[in-house]
Amino acid sequence: MYRLLFLQFLRSRAVLASLVLILLLGVISIGIGHQFLSQKKAAIEQVESHQKSHIERNVALHKDDLGLLMYYVQFAFVNSTTHLAGLSIGQSDLNPNVQRITIKNLEGQRYDTDLVNPMNLQSGNLDLSFVLIYLFPLLIIVFTFNLLSEETETGTWRLVSVQTSSKSKYLLTKLSVRVLLIYAVLGVLFTVAKIVLAIPLDLNFMMVVLLSFLYVAFWFALCFFVINYKKNSGFNALLLLSIWLVLLILLPAGINAYLTNKYPVPEALSTMISQRDGYHTKWDTDKKETLQKFYDHYPQFQEFGYPIEGFNWTWYYAMQQMGDDDSAKDTKALRKKMGERETASKQLSAFLPNMHLQLAFNELAGTSLNQHLSFLDATGDFHEELRLFFYPLIFKEESGDSVDWTKFVPKYSDDGKDDKTQLRFMWPLLIATFIMFLGCIIIGRKLH
Amino acid sequence: MKHFLKNAFKTKVIYVMLTVFILLTAYAAVSGIHNYSEQNSIRLEHQEKARQSWEANPDKHPHRMAHFGTFAFRMKQPLSMFDYGIESFTGNAVFLEAHRQNSVNFSDAGFSTGTLRFGELSMAMLLQLVLPLILFFLGFSVVVSERENGTLKILLSQGADWKEILLGKSLGLFVLALLFFAPIVLFTTGFLFFGETSINPADSWQRFLLLFLGYALFLLILCFMSIVVSTTARSSKNALLTLLGIWLFMVVLVPKTSQAIGNAMYPTPSKLSFQSAVERDVIKKGDSHNPDDPYFNRLKDSVLAVHGVDSVTELPFNYGGFVMREGEKTSANLYKKHHDSLLHIYEKQNNVSRFTAVLNPFVAIKTISMAFTGTDFKGYVDFQEQAETYRYQLAQEMNELQMEYISTKKISGSEGKKHVVGHEHWEEFPDFEHQMQPLQSSLNVASLGIFSLLGWVLLSFLGLRYLSKKAKAI
Repeated sequence: MYRLLFLQFLRSRAVLASLVLILLLGVISIGIGHQFLSQKKAAIEQVESHQKSHIERNVALHKDDLGLLMYYVQFAFVNSTTHLAGLSIGQSDLNPNVQRITIKNLEGQRYDTDLVNPMNLQSGNLDLSFVLIYLFPLLIIVFTFNLLSEETETGTWRLVSVQTSSKSKYLLTKLSVRVLLIYAVLGVLFTVAKIVLAIPLDLNFMMVVLLSFLYVAFWFALCFFVINYKKNSGFNALLLLSIWLVLLILLPAGINAYLTNKYPVPEALSTMISQRDGYHTKWDTDKKETLQKFYDHYPQFQEFGYPIEGFNWTWYYAMQQMGDDDSAKDTKALRKKMGERETASKQLSAFLPNMHLQLAFNELAGTSLNQHLSFLDATGDFHEELRLFFYPLIFKEESGDSVDWTKFVPKYSDDGKDDKTQLRFMWPLLIATFIMFLGCIIIGRKLH
Repeated sequence: MKHFLKNAFKTKVIYVMLTVFILLTAYAAVSGIHNYSEQNSIRLEHQEKARQSWEANPDKHPHRMAHFGTFAFRMKQPLSMFDYGIESFTGNAVFLEAHRQNSVNFSDAGFSTGTLRFGELSMAMLLQLVLPLILFFLGFSVVVSERENGTLKILLSQGADWKEILLGKSLGLFVLALLFFAPIVLFTTGFLFFGETSINPADSWQRFLLLFLGYALFLLILCFMSIVVSTTARSSKNALLTLLGIWLFMVVLVPKTSQAIGNAMYPTPSKLSFQSAVERDVIKKGDSHNPDDPYFNRLKDSVLAVHGVDSVTELPFNYGGFVMREGEKTSANLYKKHHDSLLHIYEKQNNVSRFTAVLNPFVAIKTISMAFTGTDFKGYVDFQEQAETYRYQLAQEMNELQMEYISTKKISGSEGKKHVVGHEHWEEFPDFEHQMQPLQSSLNVASLGIFSLLGWVLLSFLGLRYLSKKAKAI
């Protein structure tokens, strides 16, 4: 009988067409992920070769004046992209994964954006996470909305109820055919993704697969719950599609509107102005005072004294430092506000399986906002290291030749990409699925 | 038509849907208005703050002011409360200084955890996404169910003709559509009347009018579409499934896929290759920051020859300012050249989905809506260009001041209190003000969408006429 149910199901042209469509879109999405990864990889390779020639050119021009040289030289700091990012591009299409910074004030540099077409951002990435989160539920709806109603509408249901011992067993068998097919499609897509994107079989990837299986189970349970009410096919289709619209579009959009209005970020603009004023107004204020503030921050450089006649680099970089020091309060407020946003959105998304899944995917793939913020923090540390290395050399008026430039190759940040046991991502989905299953059992008892 | 409306209000469903839709509209309107006024007041406040510290500068060397620079903040158009367009994905603020074209930073998308990618709840979104689904639901069975239960046959035998029936039902559905549309119109007009909107209300009202005419056309097309499907379908179940399929395909799949295809076909260059291409060209032409640059050495010789002097200190103007003026001119031109070609790539990416508007009324209304609310790609490019023009003027004004007022002996360096220009000049240079796009340019962008909608209306009429000859009562 099982084989017959399978064949009967696959005979429908709509079913075959939607299977082909989802496989096609899945493969396209993996291709898009692949293109994304190779673009990022190419950009990083470019940085490697560019940094060498960039430093050579500037050293040749300004080696006699290290202060001036350091005004120009940029050092690359790279946030390496994981292979999983090809599955869930997340925020990494928008946030640059390469920062090229000078030792001048940091706040004026670190928020610079990548080149992006805003229309692409608005339309969103067609990556595998999109196919999974948006399109799989639709496929599940298409496969199940008339599971029961087609039997009543064509009149076969009475036949079935006479012939089979248990109606619910028959329904479950029918359902399992669809479940198996969808899981097979999912399995195929993950296998293709694993090979094409060269994803290592690590804990994060396992977690992505596990979460996806749970998500599909959640939707099957939800659909099964709805169709048990024995309404007609048209009504089921409409109701399920409306649920899809509410869960995947209206609620997330509503939550987003709430978050944007509740947590506006004027701190970003304030930081921008205060770092500018912090540095630039020092050209007109007392040099000694500026230097004093600088030595308060870095007492180890006090030996360089208070040169206040005309222009000198000690004073210049002290001024640059003031851009960061004077805006530190705003920067902190900005960081705090971002943290609040992150927490609020995580809490709200726990109630919405699709939103939760997207945020979990992003985090597993290293493409979340949180991970970008830690990259920005790491950029700060990298910048500080550079400063502390070059400040004394500049103040001592060393020549550019005294520095071993070969060691200044692009540096990689490997922050926050470790395999933490991220089982916690599972709970909201597991609970939601469980509730739906429970609902199915209760409704099944009542109606059959 | 009357008959249709009477039927529609017999069921409870319509009241439920109307209530839910109005609640959603209210939420979208309130958050849209709140977002508009809050964001604009934040940006205005910072624009003023930045201006104050600009004006508070004491007498100083103009080149210091060129680097002190200022900021351009992108202001939201009033109608962006109706349609966010791409505004959440574009930067809001850019630092303007001499020699450098900085990136426009701090977009809402950058502050988002990714929730934004699920879409934004705006009144435009309700009209483009939710209302079509509601109309399909209200319209799918109107003809086919009457055929199924035989009333159609009676109606026809009583002397009604097909054309009347189909047109009447379409218009009846359209009246329902307008009922859903009305609260949105009310909220928006209310906002335009009482809200703290812009300097140019006439412009907003014109845009509003065009925008809502566009939406009315769009709704009309949807009504025709439902009736056509309902007439041709074999059963009401099939009619509903066909309409749901159309919705999925035209609203979700096609726009997203076409944009992704555009993006894949014309890849965006990396930031580094863009920047180094500009840098390379500037160096090739002449680097004003390189003391031994051959281009600027030749320039110096020719300037000296023209004025008949032997050294730059004898020139009637400050030579340092002159060199920077020329340098700014070349680098700004070269930057523009590269930036234009970058924009060209973006446009090619966008065109793939833009041209689907011809076949897809859902994309057509989206482009029209974004164009008239000023939240489209063009509006953003326009802001960037205004900011760059202002930046260029600022840098050149400071170079002119240096040429005119700074001693000809002081060629380089801008430190100290000796070679300075009076601070009254800072106030004289006007602040940046983001000008909204003229209506004409929005019209140009929207024209493809408008033609598409008109074409669709025409097509639906023809389709209805054709059907009224072919349709069967049983």
